[in-house]
Amino acid sequence: MAVFFVAPYANMLLISFLTPGSGQPYALPFTLANYARSVTDAFNWRVLWNTCWYAALTAAICLVLAYPLAYRLARARGRAKAALLVIVLSPLLLDVVIRSYGWMILLADNGLINQLLRKLGLHPVQLMYNAFGVVVGLTHVFLPFMVLSLLGSLETLNPDIELAARSLGARGWQAFWRVVWPLSLPGVFAGTVLVFVLAASSYVIPSLLGENAVLTMPLLIAQRVLTVFNWPSGAALAMFMSVFVLGLVGVYAVLMNRAMRGLR
Amino acid sequence: MGRGSRWLGVAVGAVCVFLLLPIVVVILTAFNAGSYLRFPPQGFSLRWFVSFAHNSTFTSSFLFSLELAALATALAAVLGTLGALFAVRHAGRWANALRLLMVAPLELPAILTGVALLIFFYGIRLRTQGLMTLLIGHTLICIPFVFLAVSVVLTHFDTNLEEAARSLGADGWRTFLRVTLPLIKVGIVSGATLAFVSSFGEFPISLLLSGVQATPLPLQLFDYLRFSFDPTAAAVGTVNIALTVSVVLLTERWVGLESLYRGGRR
Repeated sequence: MAVFFVAPYANMLLISFLTPGSGQPYALPFTLANYARSVTDAFNWRVLWNTCWYAALTAAICLVLAYPLAYRLARARGRAKAALLVIVLSPLLLDVVIRSYGWMILLADNGLINQLLRKLGLHPVQLMYNAFGVVVGLTHVFLPFMVLSLLGSLETLNPDIELAARSLGARGWQAFWRVVWPLSLPGVFAGTVLVFVLAASSYVIPSLLGENAVLTMPLLIAQRVLTVFNWPSGAALAMFMSVFVLGLVGVYAVLMNRAMRGLR
Repeated sequence: MGRGSRWLGVAVGAVCVFLLLPIVVVILTAFNAGSYLRFPPQGFSLRWFVSFAHNSTFTSSFLFSLELAALATALAAVLGTLGALFAVRHAGRWANALRLLMVAPLELPAILTGVALLIFFYGIRLRTQGLMTLLIGHTLICIPFVFLAVSVVLTHFDTNLEEAARSLGADGWRTFLRVTLPLIKVGIVSGATLAFVSSFGEFPISLLLSGVQATPLPLQLFDYLRFSFDPTAAAVGTVNIALTVSVVLLTERWVGLESLYRGGRR
């Protein structure tokens, strides 16, 4: 474990400081040029911005879709609960490539949805090879993680609390917004961070459903390493991305903490 | 209350449809006679499965993926279990650090792990692109699943049982084989199931570490899909789905599905 996990990461960190060689993937001397180039290149920032924007959008949509499901699951018992759990967890166990393929069949220019639109006499719409397709695919893949995170905090919530709020005169929505929602914030936080990080580092979905129209950071890194064969630059980009994403998560954690304290 | 819960039901139903839709569509396409799916379907046919069976790149990738997933799962089951035993019982104040390390491959982006491994293998002159490098990468991804599942079981473990076995004259090894192992079997099996399934579907690591002769199935499928929508891919996908479902069902028969959910995921 130590040899094949810690060492490669340390090695990658080291190589990100080396010069790209001409005959071999990397060479001496040590340099900061890879980082300087990663950070100053406007193109990289645009790709990074895209990556984070898609990931944030995915996390937000997942939250909206997952909440009712998790809420229902937390209150379900016995068979209904088992069936719902199977529905939520089963996509998690399937190969991402196959799930993307399912979306390709649905969203392609002559796919099912566009066939339906044509039958209804409407104009077909481009649903794939653009940001829309990528976000749909990402949402589908990471929704189960959000449901599980929310479920964790909703399950510990005593249903009587909501009843108590109602008996004190709160309407349905009020009881939810003032009581259930604030108490579920830890789950909301965990789920959004998890989905954001996973979505930002996803490779398959943006490349299959985005093709060349969408470029995200993982695609760029893989391209640097596999096609351009510039390992130091790829390694520096990877470090740059990790630090940036972790930084965003840190900022988010501080904001969320403040929001939670404000509610108390 | 009544109207609110009806809306909730509708929302939940819609989300479930969203979750299952792409999978259902893949299966429908695989059994559909036409060369792409339309409504109404053009009749039932197994021709895409036949086309899969005759496509030697797909079948050899399929077998290779099975082999890889089985080996990686076996290795991860041993290493993950040992890791969990050590972390829960002997690590003392290092337990937390060890736990973080063992789970890290699950939490760091796999594509970064792949890049790091690729560069590392080059550095230590291990021939990249082959079963060996892929196996190391996949085992790394599989270990956290086993580790987490076994750890959960171990924390609820009644150590009196082991002491009883010892006081009845069993030596350390026998106690482990006859008492400890059967009791933590649930954790090992459910962790190994998740490990197998995720190795079988693993993509980013394979992308960076595979070679020309050794291409795992998801990678082969990915390459194929970039140039064609042919339903052969749907047949491959359906076989994949069937395999995954049967592995999970077998586990369910053996140790129960609830353990998969409680033990395997955070």
